[in-house]
Amino acid sequence: MNAPLAPSLSFPAVVLWLALLVPLLLGLLAWRFPPRRMLPVLLAGTPLPLATFWLLHRVSAGGELVGVWSLGELQLHWRLNGLAGLLLLLTQLLLLASATYAVGYWRATVLPERAFAGFWPLLGGLAAALGVIWVAADLLTLYAALELMGLTAVGMMLLPGKGAALVAGMRYLIYALVGSLAWLLGVALLLGASGRLDLAGLAATTEPGPVTGIAMAMLAAGLLLKAAIFPLHGWLVPVHASAWTPVSALHGALVVKASFFILMQLWQRLVPEGVAAAWLLGLLGSLAVLWGGLQAWRANELKKVVAWSTVGQLGYLMLAFPLLAGTSAAVATLAWQATWLQLAGHALAKAAMFMAAGNLLLAAGESRITDLAGTSRRLPLPLMTFGLAAVTLMGLPPSAGFTAKWLLLQAAILAGQWLWVAVLVVGSLLTAAYVFRVFRCAFVEAAPRHEVRSLPAGMDLIALLLSLSALGLGLAAEWPLALLRGGGMP
Amino acid sequence: MALSGELFPAGLLVFLATACLLDRHLLRACLAFIAFALLMALAWWRLDSPWLALVEATLGALLTGITLLHGLGRLGSRSSLPLRDRERRPRQQATARWLAALVWLTLAGAAVWGVSGNSELAASVEVTRWVLLATGLTIMALGLWAFAHHLHLLRRLLAFNVLGSGIFLLLAGLAGPAVEVQGLILVGLVVSLIGSVLGVALLRRLHAQDGRVVLGDGGREEAG
Amino acid sequence: MSGGLLLLATLCTSLFAAVMIFLLPERAFRARTGLNLGAALIKLSLVAWMVWGLSRGGEYSLEFPVLEGLAFALRADPLGIMFAGLSSLLWLFTTVYAIGYLEDSPNRKRFFGFFSLCVASTLGISLAGNLFTFLIFYELLTLSTYPLVVHRGTSQALAAGRVYLRFTLTAGLVLMIGMVALHALAGDIRFGEREILAGLSPDHRPLLVGLFWGLIAGFGVKAALVPLHGWLPRAMVAPAPVSALLHAVAVVKAGAFGIVRLVYDVYGIELSAELGLLTGLVVVAAVTILYGSLRALAQRELKPLLAYSTVSQVAYIVLGIGLGGPLGTIAAFSHLLHQGLMKATLFFCAGNYAEELGIHRIDGLDGAGRRMPLTSLAFTVGALGMIGLPPVVGFFSKWYLGTGAIQAGMPWVIAVLVASSLLSAVYFLPILGRLWFRPGPDHGVGEWPEERRLGRLETHPWLLVPVVATALFSLMAGMLAGVPFSPLEWATRVVNTEYLP
Repeated sequence: MNAPLAPSLSFPAVVLWLALLVPLLLGLLAWRFPPRRMLPVLLAGTPLPLATFWLLHRVSAGGELVGVWSLGELQLHWRLNGLAGLLLLLTQLLLLASATYAVGYWRATVLPERAFAGFWPLLGGLAAALGVIWVAADLLTLYAALELMGLTAVGMMLLPGKGAALVAGMRYLIYALVGSLAWLLGVALLLGASGRLDLAGLAATTEPGPVTGIAMAMLAAGLLLKAAIFPLHGWLVPVHASAWTPVSALHGALVVKASFFILMQLWQRLVPEGVAAAWLLGLLGSLAVLWGGLQAWRANELKKVVAWSTVGQLGYLMLAFPLLAGTSAAVATLAWQATWLQLAGHALAKAAMFMAAGNLLLAAGESRITDLAGTSRRLPLPLMTFGLAAVTLMGLPPSAGFTAKWLLLQAAILAGQWLWVAVLVVGSLLTAAYVFRVFRCAFVEAAPRHEVRSLPAGMDLIALLLSLSALGLGLAAEWPLALLRGGGMP
Repeated sequence: MALSGELFPAGLLVFLATACLLDRHLLRACLAFIAFALLMALAWWRLDSPWLALVEATLGALLTGITLLHGLGRLGSRSSLPLRDRERRPRQQATARWLAALVWLTLAGAAVWGVSGNSELAASVEVTRWVLLATGLTIMALGLWAFAHHLHLLRRLLAFNVLGSGIFLLLAGLAGPAVEVQGLILVGLVVSLIGSVLGVALLRRLHAQDGRVVLGDGGREEAG
Repeated sequence: MSGGLLLLATLCTSLFAAVMIFLLPERAFRARTGLNLGAALIKLSLVAWMVWGLSRGGEYSLEFPVLEGLAFALRADPLGIMFAGLSSLLWLFTTVYAIGYLEDSPNRKRFFGFFSLCVASTLGISLAGNLFTFLIFYELLTLSTYPLVVHRGTSQALAAGRVYLRFTLTAGLVLMIGMVALHALAGDIRFGEREILAGLSPDHRPLLVGLFWGLIAGFGVKAALVPLHGWLPRAMVAPAPVSALLHAVAVVKAGAFGIVRLVYDVYGIELSAELGLLTGLVVVAAVTILYGSLRALAQRELKPLLAYSTVSQVAYIVLGIGLGGPLGTIAAFSHLLHQGLMKATLFFCAGNYAEELGIHRIDGLDGAGRRMPLTSLAFTVGALGMIGLPPVVGFFSKWYLGTGAIQAGMPWVIAVLVASSLLSAVYFLPILGRLWFRPGPDHGVGEWPEERRLGRLETHPWLLVPVVATALFSLMAGMLAGVPFSPLEWATRVVNTEYLP
C-alpha cells in the first residue's frame, strides 16, 4: 500500500501491516530461489507469528487497533481486535506448517521443478489475502482480499497439472467467479442503499428491510458458495481430493473458513435479528453435518473421507447463526466462543489430518481405505497422527473440538434449541463411524506386506505437532477465549 | 441529456452482448465481446470516469480479448479449439439452473427497484441513471441465462464477463460515480481478467489432455 | 512436594510411560519392560504416599480454568484415592502378566503404549475433582481401550471393537449432554459440593430426576448394567490381560465409580433418597445381578462365564449404593476393591490355562489342578470369593450388603443375594470339581488341547507371579479386614469421615 501515511500511524500498525504483507515478499523470494530444506522456511516464517503474538498482547492490554488507509478520496478501514488477531496467529502458524511440509512433500514426491517454484508466490498471496481478510473493515478491501484468496487458491489447484486436478480446478474457478459476482451485486445494493462501505458505518446506517435482506442474501449466497456450505458444497470434495497435500490442508483449514468469517461479520452487523434466516442457515448447517458425515462414511478413498469430513464439520459452524440471533446474552457469548474455538480446532485438526493422510498415502502408495490394511504396524506414527486429529473432529476430550462442543451444547440447552443438540449428537456419531472405519481397516493383521517408502521425518513431525496443538487448545482454551470475550463480538 | 442520446449506446451494448452470447461461432462471439468491452469503456468515459474507461479498454477489451483469442488458438499457439460450439445441455439439468437464475434476477430486480424507489433522487427523473439500471439489469439477465445454459467453457467465460459488466453498470447506476464505485469496478475488472486468464489456461490444458471443452457433469451454481 | 505437584506427577507417570513406549522401537523389549515396571512401581509408591498423607489430614488438589466458570480440577479425596490405589496395584500385576502373556507376539509397542494410556485415564478418573474432568478421562479411557480390544486384528476382534465403540461412544455423548445440562443448571459442581443441587428450588426436581437417569444410563454402559451390558461378553476376544483390565481395573470400574461419584458427591445421598432415585438403583442392580448369574450358568467357555459373572458382581456395587445406609455404602466401596482383586485373579488364571494348555472350554479343565496346582489354587480362591465364602474378601461384601439391606428396610434384597450366591456356587463349584477331582491328561486320561510348557514351573514365571499375588491379596484382604489400610477399613473410614453427618 503506497498510500500517504496517516499521521496517527503507530508502531503496532506498522508491525501489523508488515506481518500481513511480508509473506508476499517471502513468496516471491522463494519463487526465485525455491527452498530445498525445511529449516530455512521455518526460520524465515517464525518471526511472523511472534509479531502477531506481540500484537495480541497489545490488543489484550490496550483494546483494539483501528486505522484507515486513504487512497486519494478512497478510505480503506481496518481494525485488529482479539478475534482477528487470533485468526491471524492461527493462519500464520498453519501457513508456516504447510510451507515447511511442502518442502518435504516436494522431496518425497517427484514434482516438476517449475510447478513447485510456482507454489511459493501463490502461498505468499494466499497468506496476504487471508491476513487482510481478518483485519479488513470495509467491503472494498474485503472484496479485493476475498478475490485474491480465491484466485491464488485456484492457482494452487492447478499445480499438479493432472486430469482430475484440472477438472476440479476449473469447477472451483467457475464456482468462485459466480460467488464473487453474487458478492459484488450484494455490495452494489448496499452501497446504493446506504452510500458507504465501511462495516462500522454500515452497521450504524443500515435499517432492516427488503433491500438489506436481498443484499444480505446475495452476499450470503456468494460466501456460502465459497465456504462450501451444503447444498453449495459440490466443488469441495473433488478439489480437495486431487490437490497437493499441503494445498488441500491449507484449503480445508483456512480458505473455506475465511468466507465463513466474512459472512459472520456481515450478518452480525446487517441482520443481527434475522431469526428466520438464521434458522435457515442453521438447518443448512445441520444438513451439511448429516450429509457430509454420511458421504465420508461411504467414501472409499482416504482423501475423500477427509474432504467430506470438512463438509460436515463446516456445518457445525453454521449452528452459530441461530444461537446468536435473538437469544439471550449468555447464550450468545457461549455460542460466539464455541464457534471460533470450533473453527480453530477444526483448522488445526483438519490440516493435521490431511497431512497425516497424505503421509499414509505417500508411504503406502495406496489411496483406498481397504488397502490400508496393516498400516497400524507399518506406519504407526502417521496413523497415530490421523487418530489424534480425529479426536478433535469427533469432539472427544481432551481437544478443542470437545471444549467447543461443550460450549455449543451448553448454549443450545440454555436457549432451549434442542434440535442442535440432536444434530451435534448425530454428527459426532457419524464422525466416529467414518474415523473408526479407517482404523478398522488399518488394524487388520492378515494383510499382504507392501513396501513402505520412508518420508522425511519432518513431514510426520509437523502433522503430529498440529494434531497435538488441536488437542492442547482444548485444555488451554481460556487465554484465547478471554481475548474473544474481550473484543470482537459486535 | 436527451433520452435518445442515452438509449442508442445502451441498445448497442445490449445488442453486442446478445450477439456475443448467442453466437455459436466462437471467434465471432469473442470479437463481439471485444466490441462490447470497448463500448463499455466509452460508457465509462461518458460517465466522467476516464480512468475507469482506460482500465476497461486495456484490461477488459485488450487483455481479455487477447486471452480469449489465445484460448481459441488464434493467437500464438499451435493447436486450436474447434470454432463452433456443438454442446447441448440435457433438459433435466436445465430446470434447476433456470430457476436459480430467475430467483437471482427477481431478487436483484426487486432490490434495485427498492433502492431507486426509496431514494429522494427518484423524483427528479435522472435519465442516465434509469438507463444505466435498465441496461445493467438486461445485460445481467442475458449473462445469467448464458452462464446457466451454456456448456462450452469458453462461452461460460464469455457469459461470466458479460454478467460482470452488467453488474458494474448496475453498481454505477445505483450509487453514482462515487470513488468507492470506481474502486469496486476496478477490482472487479482485475478479477475478471485474472479469472479469464486462469479459465483459458485451464481450458487449453483440458483440451490438450483429452480434447474436452466442457466439464464432466457441469457445475451447479445457485444464488438467492 | 506440594500437593498439586504430587497429583500431577502421579498422573504423568503413566502418561510419560505411554509416550516413551510409543517412541521406543518395537524390538526394544528390555527398555520397554523396564519402563513399564518402573512406571508402575513409581506410581504405586506415589499413590501410597498420598494415602498416607491423606490419612494424616493432607490435601492434594490442582486446578486451572478451561472455560469461563469451568475448571479442570484434580483432587485426591479418600474415595478417589481408594480407586487410584486399586488401579495402580492391579496395574503392576497386569503389566507383569501382560509382559509374559505377549512374549514374542507382534505389536507389543502399540499394546503397551495404549495400556499405559488406559491406566493414566483410569487414574485421572479416580482423581478427577468435578464432572468435567471426570468426563475428559472417561472418554480418554474409551479411546485408549479400543486398540487393546481389537489388538489381535482378527475379524472377530474388529467386530467386538465396533460393538464396544457403538455402546461406549453413544454413552459418552449421553453423559456429556447430561453433564452440560447439569452445568447449565447449577454451574461447576465440584465433587463433594452436594449442597448445590440440594439447594435448588423444588421446580427443578423433575429435571434433576431426568438428568440422573440420563447420567446413570451413560455410566451404566461401562458398568455393564442390564440392558446396556451387550459389549462386555463380546469384548472377551481381547487378550487375557486386556480382559483383566476391562473387567477388574479400568472400564467397568470406571462406570461403577462414576455412579458412586454421581450419587454421593454430586446429588448427595439425602437428595437421591428424597427424589426416590435409590430404590430405582436397587431394582436395576437386582435385575442385573440375577440376569448376569443366570446367563453365566449357560456358558460353555471359561471367559464368557467370567464376563457374565462380572456383570452380576459389578451390580453389587450399584446395589450397595442404592441401599444408601452406612452399611450399604461400606459394602459398595469395599466391593469396588474386592471385586477387582478377585476378578483379576480369575482372568489371569483363565489366561494361564489358555496359554499353557490351550484350554478355553470349561469341560477341558478336567484334572488341570494336578498339572497347574498354583494357578488352580488361585482360581479356587477367586471362585470361592465370588460365591462369598469366608475368609476370602467376597464374604465381607455380601455380609455388609445383607446387613445394609436390613438397615435400609429392604429385606427382599437378601433373597436376591442368596439367589445370586447359590447361582454362583452352581456355576463355579463344578469348575472347581473338574479342576481337582476329575481325572485329566496328567492322570493319563486324554490329552491337553495345546500344551506349550512355557517354563520350568507350571507355566512362565511372568504369568504365575501375578496370579499368586492377586490371589494372596484377595485372601489377605479378607483375613486382615480389620487392620488399618485394608480395603474394608479404608472404606469404613471414607464412610465415617465423609459421608455420615
